[in-house]
Amino acid sequence: MFRINLIKITAIFLLIPHLVFGAFQEGEKIILDEKGNPIPFALVKVDGQKPLSVDENGQVDSPSKGDRVVIFALGYETQQLTWEEWLASEKIILLEKSGNLQEVVVAATRTERSVEDLPMPVTVLNTEKIQETGGMRLSEILREQTGLQIASDHGAGLQMQGLDSDYILILLDGEPLIGRTAGTFDLDRISVSNIERIEILRGPSSALYGSEAMAGVVNIITKNNSGQRKADIALRHRSFNSWNPSLELGTGGEKWDANVFLDHFQTEGFDLTPETIGQTQNPYKATTAQVKINGKLAPKWDLSLFARGYSETSDGLMQIGGAANPELLELDNTRRDLNLNPTLRIKPNEKWLFTLRGMSSWFSTNSNTQFQSSGEVFDLQDFQQFYHRTELQTDYQIRANQLLTLGLGQLIETVEATRYDDLNRFDAGYFFLQHQWDPGQRVNVVSGLRADFHSQYGNRLSPKVSGQYKISEKFSWQASIGAGFKAPDFRQLLLNFNNAASGYNVFGATLAQEGIARLQEQGLVAQILFDPSTLGDLKAETSWAFNTGFRWKASERANLQVNAFRNAIDNLIETAPIAQLNTGQNAFSYFNVRSVITQGVEVDASFQVLENLSLSAGYAFLDTRDLDVVDRIENGEVFKRNSQNQTRRVTLEDYGGLFNRSRHSGNFKINYQELNTGIDWALRVIYRGKFGFADRNGNLILDDESEYADGWVSVNLTASKTLSNGIFFEAGGTNLLNTATPAQPNNPGRVLFLGVKIPVLNLIN
Amino acid sequence: MKTIQKLLFTTAISGFLFSCDSNDDPLPIVELEATLVEDLAAPNDVIDRTTGEVTEERPFQFFSLEQNALVSENEDWDLAFKGTTIRVNSSKNVSAAVVNGIFEEITEVPANATFATDTETSFAIPTGSGSGWYNYNPATFTVTPIPGRVILVQTTAGNYSKIEILSYYKGNPPADQINPMTTPSAHYTFRYVLRPDGTTNL
Repeated sequence: MFRINLIKITAIFLLIPHLVFGAFQEGEKIILDEKGNPIPFALVKVDGQKPLSVDENGQVDSPSKGDRVVIFALGYETQQLTWEEWLASEKIILLEKSGNLQEVVVAATRTERSVEDLPMPVTVLNTEKIQETGGMRLSEILREQTGLQIASDHGAGLQMQGLDSDYILILLDGEPLIGRTAGTFDLDRISVSNIERIEILRGPSSALYGSEAMAGVVNIITKNNSGQRKADIALRHRSFNSWNPSLELGTGGEKWDANVFLDHFQTEGFDLTPETIGQTQNPYKATTAQVKINGKLAPKWDLSLFARGYSETSDGLMQIGGAANPELLELDNTRRDLNLNPTLRIKPNEKWLFTLRGMSSWFSTNSNTQFQSSGEVFDLQDFQQFYHRTELQTDYQIRANQLLTLGLGQLIETVEATRYDDLNRFDAGYFFLQHQWDPGQRVNVVSGLRADFHSQYGNRLSPKVSGQYKISEKFSWQASIGAGFKAPDFRQLLLNFNNAASGYNVFGATLAQEGIARLQEQGLVAQILFDPSTLGDLKAETSWAFNTGFRWKASERANLQVNAFRNAIDNLIETAPIAQLNTGQNAFSYFNVRSVITQGVEVDASFQVLENLSLSAGYAFLDTRDLDVVDRIENGEVFKRNSQNQTRRVTLEDYGGLFNRSRHSGNFKINYQELNTGIDWALRVIYRGKFGFADRNGNLILDDESEYADGWVSVNLTASKTLSNGIFFEAGGTNLLNTATPAQPNNPGRVLFLGVKIPVLNLIN
Repeated sequence: MKTIQKLLFTTAISGFLFSCDSNDDPLPIVELEATLVEDLAAPNDVIDRTTGEVTEERPFQFFSLEQNALVSENEDWDLAFKGTTIRVNSSKNVSAAVVNGIFEEITEVPANATFATDTETSFAIPTGSGSGWYNYNPATFTVTPIPGRVILVQTTAGNYSKIEILSYYKGNPPADQINPMTTPSAHYTFRYVLRPDGTTNL
């Protein structure tokens, strides 16, 4: 059977059911799902012969004779029929596979494969899973998933396998999103209302994606209406006077379709520390607009255009100057984002697919801080980033069980900012190769290699090999080993920052020599701490990771997935002083210094108790450590103070690893459909175990009980109902127990919400 | 500033260290008192946050370990404090070394301690977070003495002394009770032991 399926641009050609039935003819069979919708592109195999393709309407011509018939379709249980049964039935109904194993994933291999065929840990969140969270911003969906945490550091940053946002690549419809502040990609920039599904790929994927894909990849796939006419309006409201109106429009013909999406979000924010001036989250307004157009230029040529714009403004207050001489500052921040991605797909025949992608992104932030009393400017920061990538991907189906993918790309990145000199530009080129191979019915292997050539930090080779062995139809084992890396970012290479207030300087690695020379000329340097000729050689942060686990389908109703991982990361970049200045302060630059280990196990179990009741549970164990700290503790070089300021040596038992990591976390979810009213209830209990919050005893490492923030439980409940005319209602609340702590500035306490979505065109028709 | 002599520190020199010595007279056990200095106020210069210029220069606070008192600049001072900076009296050949260890366990000047004095271009007690006596925690905005850092000083009189800085905040609060916005900073609390006989035992 074909387990590798090249090139199924199915979404564009899905036709609506009534057309199909209208066109039904005698002698043909039609393959349907349980809801009566046709399943396009299924395969019908009669005896040992070459499989027959089902067309896009789910129809297939019956052969004249045979013995046994087997019907396959991606995402459905395979069905076997005797010749008599086949002849007797006009419609063949395939059952959907349970769990999320049948979901199609693009991000893992850059080709479409279902979860159960992927030899690496992947989770797919479909529309229902997204909807049941009641979330409005992406962080609110991801925080409910096993092994993922949202950390608040210059925005809502994702944490995966114990690694920070810096090391997680975020893709929107397969294209990377740019714009990070201090390394964090703020997930609150992404509106949820038009997301169709989210693919979460754990473990390094630098072999496909290069830099940043060290901990994993999150691919957000937006809705595509497949040419149906649609006009949906939605309005959602929740605590803190937050409003979220959105509009989705879709239209199309036989050869094209277009989708437009508009979303506005505004909130008054919240404050966990009312005793100090300034809110924990400032009020903000964010607007997203997106256009997606797909068209068939010629029988074998498809073109799609994607454009998205995002604009956000926020304002707030801050106090400086201490209690004696307080001064109020007004903050005005804006953030803008624009993406443009044209994609051309050419499929000359069954064996080849060429995909040419162009992608351009602009990201800018502006923050203006002024004295409230005088209106005088206190600080003005401006940041503008541009990213362009051109990539050609070639997929070649060598045999039915082998698929080769070759990618070739070039990218340009520029940045201009208050804290950087001039306009800076990076140039890079890369290629990647991937081979997907099913050597036997039970085994499949995906191997890949990517080479990156970069103008600033040199070259990188990132290999990865993953394999799966299906011990039985119910049990499969996966293992993968791969390299990850993260390139030094603009800040680490090019920052030229002088903190006038306390008299210190920070130089990006490439500017450090020059910067120190300039300070020396000005007579500001007291002592050089590093030989300047050794500065500037900043390398990429690198990792090796191992993932292994299994998927067990214990019964038709029960699934279990387990994955264990270990990431060994080297060359982590940190700042260190390079010169002492006359002011007594230091000048700093960036160095590859630290090595870190993160390892753990993640478990997901689901059980369908009844037709209308399902349970799921997730658990994640996480262990992290900084190897340099471990060495220093073992050498007896680290000390701690108690509350009486007495000193003793830190032991390895004291050491709690990296800050902001929970050793234990988990979730428990119940989905129940009340049959009388048709209301869907989704109850989720999300647990985050205690985590290191901040150093309290002066040695800057996590080694004391007082340095932990308490664990907490968030009880979230959503009720929703879709009426027969398509109108959708939802109501619910998150964090119903109202636990809030300053240690989690992204948790506002209890939030209640209400929402409605109206399919206007459906109603008119 | 007030000073209290409340900590007693015992230096027990065990006989076996000297057992190869031909002199069999038992060595006297010398009790050295640790002196606690509380809330030595040494405010930093006032700096304009927008321009970085010093708008008001503040004086260093000069301290004599021998006298356990603040003295004037022209007297025999050993250490001078201002903000997080600690100078040593280079004109009187005071030198200092920074070592790692537990204060009580450092019973003599380690052989590998490198003493230096302040020069035009360097400080004997390095400045900056992590390099000298303190850590600055950018998450909590607090300055905390690095646990286990002990400063060794050879004083104006040529005697050795070991110093442990306990707090940079007024009242020597536990580190988790410091509020960087409200707790007055630049108030040193430290303890030291001075060996009055010029030997390297501490």
